[in-house]
Amino acid sequence: MEPRSRSFFRNSEKALADASLQAAISRTTGKFVGARAASIEAFPGFEAARREGSRIKGETLDRLDRYLALFISEAEKRGAVVHVARDADEARGIAAGIARQEGVSLAVKSKSMIAEEVDLNGALEAAGVEVVESDLGEFIIQLAGEPPSHLIAPAVHKTREQVSRLFEQKLGEPYTDDIQELVRIARKHLRAKFLSAGMGVSGANFLCADTGSIVMVTNEGNGRMGTVLPRVHLAVASIEKVIPSLADLPVFLRLLPRSATGQPITTYVSVLTGVKRPEDPEGPEKLHILLVDNGRTAILQGKYRDILKCIRCGACLNICPVYQSVGGHAYGWTYPGPMGSVLTPLLAGLAEGAPLPNASTLCGACAEVCPVEIPLPRLLLELRADERDQGLKTPEEILGMKGYAAAMGRAGVLEALERFAGVVGRLIFKDGKVPWLPLKFSGWTNKRDFPAPAAQPFRRLWKKQRGIRPWSR
Amino acid sequence: MEEAEGDTPVEPLDRKSELIRRIAVALYGHDGARTSSGRAAGHAESGARADAIALFRDRFEANGGNFIEGLSPEAILPALGEALRLSGVAGLFFPEDDAGARHVAEALVPFGPFTLVSSAEALQPSPPQTAGFQTADYAVAETGSIVQTSLGGKTLLPGLLADVHVALVSRAAFVDRMDDCLAAMADDPPRNISFLSGPSRTADIEQTLTIGAHGPRKMIAVLI
Repeated sequence: MEPRSRSFFRNSEKALADASLQAAISRTTGKFVGARAASIEAFPGFEAARREGSRIKGETLDRLDRYLALFISEAEKRGAVVHVARDADEARGIAAGIARQEGVSLAVKSKSMIAEEVDLNGALEAAGVEVVESDLGEFIIQLAGEPPSHLIAPAVHKTREQVSRLFEQKLGEPYTDDIQELVRIARKHLRAKFLSAGMGVSGANFLCADTGSIVMVTNEGNGRMGTVLPRVHLAVASIEKVIPSLADLPVFLRLLPRSATGQPITTYVSVLTGVKRPEDPEGPEKLHILLVDNGRTAILQGKYRDILKCIRCGACLNICPVYQSVGGHAYGWTYPGPMGSVLTPLLAGLAEGAPLPNASTLCGACAEVCPVEIPLPRLLLELRADERDQGLKTPEEILGMKGYAAAMGRAGVLEALERFAGVVGRLIFKDGKVPWLPLKFSGWTNKRDFPAPAAQPFRRLWKKQRGIRPWSR
Repeated sequence: MEEAEGDTPVEPLDRKSELIRRIAVALYGHDGARTSSGRAAGHAESGARADAIALFRDRFEANGGNFIEGLSPEAILPALGEALRLSGVAGLFFPEDDAGARHVAEALVPFGPFTLVSSAEALQPSPPQTAGFQTADYAVAETGSIVQTSLGGKTLLPGLLADVHVALVSRAAFVDRMDDCLAAMADDPPRNISFLSGPSRTADIEQTLTIGAHGPRKMIAVLI
């Protein structure tokens, strides 16, 4: 998927004007935020689990070479074939090679963000493989030819009527507005695919280094079907998914579902270790694990390492006032919301992703809900600083900020400016509103009035009330 | 889309060591990873408590599961038979080598118009409404989960394909926490460990909770 984050502001305007999208976003985020809060309220151990999860992820990243090497050797010991891709092109090439080598014509896929990031489906399809998304939300947007709009609720922007029209057009099913019936239709179509697919493609929520296990959490059961029934299993994972051991898994299973949907546990958790054993009646004879770097080692090196702790729960999306307003597609790439605003500029380049760290009020809600304590607002600020260092800010912006800093750093200058603005403001803006600002500043006044400077600045009122001499500090 | 083959200029083994080297350089500025002691598994096994069953029942039912308990398999048959009839079940299947599941399924036949079907029939694209019976490996109180594994060559089909999954749970199978059952298998994990916590569900259309996405529409745990 090609990043289109540069167009964030244009995308946002489109999203804000779309009434049905607005209704869908507010329904989803509201529900998730409420469910998360209730489930954490009911689980007193959440804060302790959060600290533990953050610590484990941090320590793993600090020694990722060691844990990844351990994961690879343990997985290979149990019959897996481990592949490594430096970038998206390599990942696509390897996946296509696996499909050809295994003679696969139909693959059932469960949700994977990294597969989306590197456009794995495109590569498999180019290699002649029919790829069927088996998560219901992904199945819907695949039929619609759209990218996902939420980490865990990819078709959140679609209404039941839109889904039914899609099923009518693409599957030849009669129209219905009964959601239960729509789910039944998808189940019937996908069951046939599960039973005939030569390969199951999955992501991984966690990789356990000490056992070489792949861990997957789902609610629908599609991930289980795709990793038990087909002859070949291709698991795609980015390198930061590793945790040291199987014994570390429970803490993350306590954090992830509660943070994502507010469930104490997802309906299904699969821990998959190696290939079908001689005594097993079913299971994949071949297990390919594709580990994808695609820019992560560069992140590991610098001050943004903490973003690699992310377990893709979506809690920061749901709580974010920006995401709540514009939804996922506006972000223009695989990862939306606050975590996406950090990850996208780091993976796709700051020139492409620069609007994202700036499209934040830095309110801090994302950091408060993050189950692995990622300091998202700090990382967003760092990215803004990098933007300046890399020469991506306009001279006007730099000059403006310099002027602002100079005024804010000198109390006397600030007070003089405030008084001057107060007097001028009273003369020009009689009703206390500034309806129009020039040039770059027009963004403030395009959609709303800017308040005119107060006749009596706060600092002056403060001093007056306390009998402090004007112009003194 | 590019037409790259799976083969690339670098040999697979070199690619892996190259990735590990690249990560080490990113972390330490040099490619010789320092050694450090591994993290201890460190989770002491805690045994099943008497109240684990009560907690399991609460959590399992909160997950949407049905919990049935009785003194003997015979005592629970009428209740189980009724639950399956109400779910429209016509066929019952069980793993060939699971004596407990076979016993319950065979004894259930007179309690409804049920027929015994094979796993192969359950694997058809349009099978009859089925109930899949299997003895559970563990029942986790903390999460209200039934754990089915492939340990020793066990099948996973009853909990995967059936419309109703009936898990038979002995008292010895109950553990307090997820850690307990994972620790028991950590040395040599079976190919598949599945935590099953209620019926298959989705909320992908309009955030409306809908039961029976791909897996069982109903999940029943029977304490025997």
